[in-house]
Amino acid sequence: MSAAALLLPLLTLALPLLLACAWVLPARWHPWLHRLTALAPLPALLLALLAPADLSLMLPGVLFGGLWLLDSLARALLVATALLWLLAGLYALRYPLATDEKTPDDGGQPGGSARRFQVFWLLTLAGNLGLLVSRDIAGFYTCFALMTFAGYGLVVHTGRAAARRAGRIYLVMAVIGEMLILSGLILAAAGAGAPALQVLPDAIAGHRHGAWLAALLWLGFGVKAGLAGLHMWLPLAHPVAPTPASAVLSGAMIKAGLLGWLLTLPLGIITLPWAEIALIAALVAALGGALIGVTQQQAKAVLAYSSISQMGLITVIVAAGLIAPGLWPVLGPAALLYALHHALAKGTLFLGVNGLAPRWRPLLWLPALSLAGLPLTTGAAAKLTMKAGLYDLAFPGLMLWLSLAAVGTTLLMLRFMFCLQREAGDKMPAGLMQGVTMVAVLASVTGVMWAVPGMGADWGARWGDAGDLFGLFWPVVVGLIIGGGCWASLRSAQPTGVVRAGVPAGDIVVVIERVLRGIGRLWARRPGKDWRWEKVVQWEDDHLHRIGDVALKLERHLQRWPIILFILLALVLAGLLVR
Amino acid sequence: MSGHWTSWMPLLVLASSLVTALIIFTLPENRHITRGLLNLTGAVIKIVLVVVMVIGVERGMEFELRYTILPGVDFILRADGMAMFFAGLSSVLWLFTTLYAIGYLENSPNRSRFFGFFSLCVTATMGIALAGNLFTFLLFYELLTLSTWPLVTHRGTEKALKAGRTYLIYTLTGGAVLLGGVLWLYGLVGDVEFQEGGLLRHTPEALHGQLSLVFAVLIAGLAVKAAMVPVHGWLPVAMVAPAPVSALLHAVAVVKAGAFGIVRVVYDLYGIEFAASLNLLMPLGIAAAITVLYGSLRALAQSELKRRLAYSTISQVSYIALGISLFGPVGTIGALVHLLHQGFMKITLFFCAGNYAETLGVHRIDELDGAGRRMPLTSAAFTLGAFGMIGAPPLAGFISKWFLGTGAIAAHMHWALWVLIASSILNACYFLPIVHRLWFRPQRGDWPAEQTLSDRFETSGWLLWPAVATGLCIIGAGLFAGLPFSPLSWAQLVASREYLQ
Repeated sequence: MSAAALLLPLLTLALPLLLACAWVLPARWHPWLHRLTALAPLPALLLALLAPADLSLMLPGVLFGGLWLLDSLARALLVATALLWLLAGLYALRYPLATDEKTPDDGGQPGGSARRFQVFWLLTLAGNLGLLVSRDIAGFYTCFALMTFAGYGLVVHTGRAAARRAGRIYLVMAVIGEMLILSGLILAAAGAGAPALQVLPDAIAGHRHGAWLAALLWLGFGVKAGLAGLHMWLPLAHPVAPTPASAVLSGAMIKAGLLGWLLTLPLGIITLPWAEIALIAALVAALGGALIGVTQQQAKAVLAYSSISQMGLITVIVAAGLIAPGLWPVLGPAALLYALHHALAKGTLFLGVNGLAPRWRPLLWLPALSLAGLPLTTGAAAKLTMKAGLYDLAFPGLMLWLSLAAVGTTLLMLRFMFCLQREAGDKMPAGLMQGVTMVAVLASVTGVMWAVPGMGADWGARWGDAGDLFGLFWPVVVGLIIGGGCWASLRSAQPTGVVRAGVPAGDIVVVIERVLRGIGRLWARRPGKDWRWEKVVQWEDDHLHRIGDVALKLERHLQRWPIILFILLALVLAGLLVR
Repeated sequence: MSGHWTSWMPLLVLASSLVTALIIFTLPENRHITRGLLNLTGAVIKIVLVVVMVIGVERGMEFELRYTILPGVDFILRADGMAMFFAGLSSVLWLFTTLYAIGYLENSPNRSRFFGFFSLCVTATMGIALAGNLFTFLLFYELLTLSTWPLVTHRGTEKALKAGRTYLIYTLTGGAVLLGGVLWLYGLVGDVEFQEGGLLRHTPEALHGQLSLVFAVLIAGLAVKAAMVPVHGWLPVAMVAPAPVSALLHAVAVVKAGAFGIVRVVYDLYGIEFAASLNLLMPLGIAAAITVLYGSLRALAQSELKRRLAYSTISQVSYIALGISLFGPVGTIGALVHLLHQGFMKITLFFCAGNYAETLGVHRIDELDGAGRRMPLTSAAFTLGAFGMIGAPPLAGFISKWFLGTGAIAAHMHWALWVLIASSILNACYFLPIVHRLWFRPQRGDWPAEQTLSDRFETSGWLLWPAVATGLCIIGAGLFAGLPFSPLSWAQLVASREYLQ
């Protein structure tokens, strides 16, 4: 342990948190704070690039014993994460954030709601960077929760009805996820004894109910990773957030769920009985996300569904590791590489939504086709590594399914470019935003390879097998042909059928809301009328009050005759005791 | 009684607030500055004395005052680890509450009466903490009842008097039941001191059946102040009291006295291992679990901020009883540490509720929209308290829940973990909407009754800084739980002494 190790928590956690606190300073400081906020991830990025190998720090006084570690896994993720946050932060300098016009008490510069955004931005950043290097159970969970709850501030920032709805669903899912994780961690850690994360995989593997514990963690972290069935917050929350926030939500924060899996699940140790179900669910997400995404009307919603689809592919890799522990040494690096690739590519695409002038917009085809796996891109490298591991799994139809998902992704990207063309039109973004987006494009196509130790060296050697190349190539071509045909026909004719109606963003949550609405109507016996959350709250108030009134009446009676109650209570207790 | 200085320490701790109380009663109403100084001096002296004793106890010193009142009945004040736990909490929070109360009651009548009983109330709490046997405990327990009644009814309104009456009916009946239990026990085995590990385990087996019944009676008596279902009815009604009183009632004095009494009876009278061997813990755990869930459900339905906090207290205090019922050192640590953590979190929330009421005239939850921008520091403190209650890391409440949860697993009572998780979800359901309103809803029209209490800050510094300070304590107690003398470390020390056998 060295003094340099102290930089781990200082630069990732303390610095953004201090900056967040600094926003209480009077308005004349705000222009400076604004710039510092944008640069807040830079020290962590430099640390990730320059720090010596396996830097670690132990502080027994923090929580149950604080533990920080910068191993190759953390370093690779930290580079990608900090870089994306930095780019998005710079982008946000010129992004219109103020949602309210009248802010006399804040000096108006930047507006009160913009200041609120900066604070939540920094809190979320602290959580996201911190969780990458925290390796004690409590510290990791702390950062995870900080990121999750502070992220709510980014989602609901605009205050519009859609943002409020998205925020509500985000929060409900977040609480469910946090509770699943907490119960999983408590159950796994109770037997482990040590406060370090690294004991958990073995503890779960050796536990009598290990499969159940792993399932709790799988689902808990899966909320963040957009697991099929728990994904519904994602296509709502990612589009409504301001664009720089969408970029980090979909690019960086979503990977926290993956890291949670990598650090806690017994990967490479045992086979879990439910892993095949998880694999099939992940395949459904990979293709289903693409199919639903194609029907979306908004460019950002298309990207959000693409995130579900891509995270589905990463989930396939992890689930395969839970089916065949022996393959994990190959699959583990593949999952990481895919995550890095997706982080930068998806972040870049989000930035590109408002970030490029019309004539530069075709640059976005680079990260877009990289996601689809066009040869010679990072996406292709990630897919090759993934397939190398999955061939040995011998899961029937897996390869075909993955190729279909790649066709789907190509279609999604076409749909994205189509929607973008329609939405953005001839808008001319600020120069800084354009510059940042171009840097992001560059980084997404090339940069990620350097971050992973060993990957840069052999990435040229991977292009040898022609069969592999063909496997990557045909889905893109098929996708382009189908999509191009659709695009051409859409230009000439009015869209019909599914494409026109579309699947509403959030898919199953709409069904859930409808069911709730129905129940609400039934119970309230109030037909018609638009359903709104306020009404449900009102209904809850009214009816819980009615339940409460019964309790209240009871309480009033008890108030009058407490002594009777005591005798009763003592008798009951005595009855329980003397058996 | 030995002349050694150590035996005078417990008495001095009591005297620091008792003497303050007596002087304040004689002060004329308009001597505000003298009264304030007296209050603060008393509070600071008490903290210094408690710190000296905490360090002493940690090093194994004995602080004991013993005085025989009747043959066979002793008056004992003793500072052991458990006592210092409660005494430390009370002395620190008393200081904050005194500061807050000085600001809160500015320009209101009858302040001598208020602060006199306020100090008397703290004397009683310290007495409860330091009591070395059931008799002494009962003495201060009743003193607490009587000294808090004038505080609850302080405003003198019809509603306040009614609440005071309800409060008295409940607590006096509870006290009577407790007295019955104490006498029954005295008849069986004579005067029994509190001792780590408990002395009752040495009683002959023939008496065990009766001892179980006595246990039920004692817990039933204590459950009133601990506001356990179904004898919790006084607590939401007592909400009419001024904010500093509510803060004290919910965080330190009354509910905690009940919970601490349960701790004493289980650990230092019966002994946790003896209690477990008599199968006394399971019924206690079930009663606690019911209270935890019932309190949260009722909190959900409240539309008034203080009432919601009151039901939340009912739920949270029973975490302590739930932890006690989890046999094993981890559960014990969870119960003890929550005794402190709940105090810091709830006092912060009540300070904030008081600030909203005083500064903006806001009492209802739906009036809080946009309060975060008007009162950012108060709202930040409230947010900390709320997230602490939910159990979000790295706040104090997370440490409690973690140890209660792992304690439940260690005691093979998995259902208790699910009770905790369900309660956490309910906590989130009734706290997160408030936090959302504070920060993300635009203000709707004018505040109900806004006052400008300070030119520089959002509200009077007397009201603001105690809330901020206790808010920071919530972070400190959680984030630095591993440091020596943190609540967690002290709980671990005390718990290790309970399981020596």
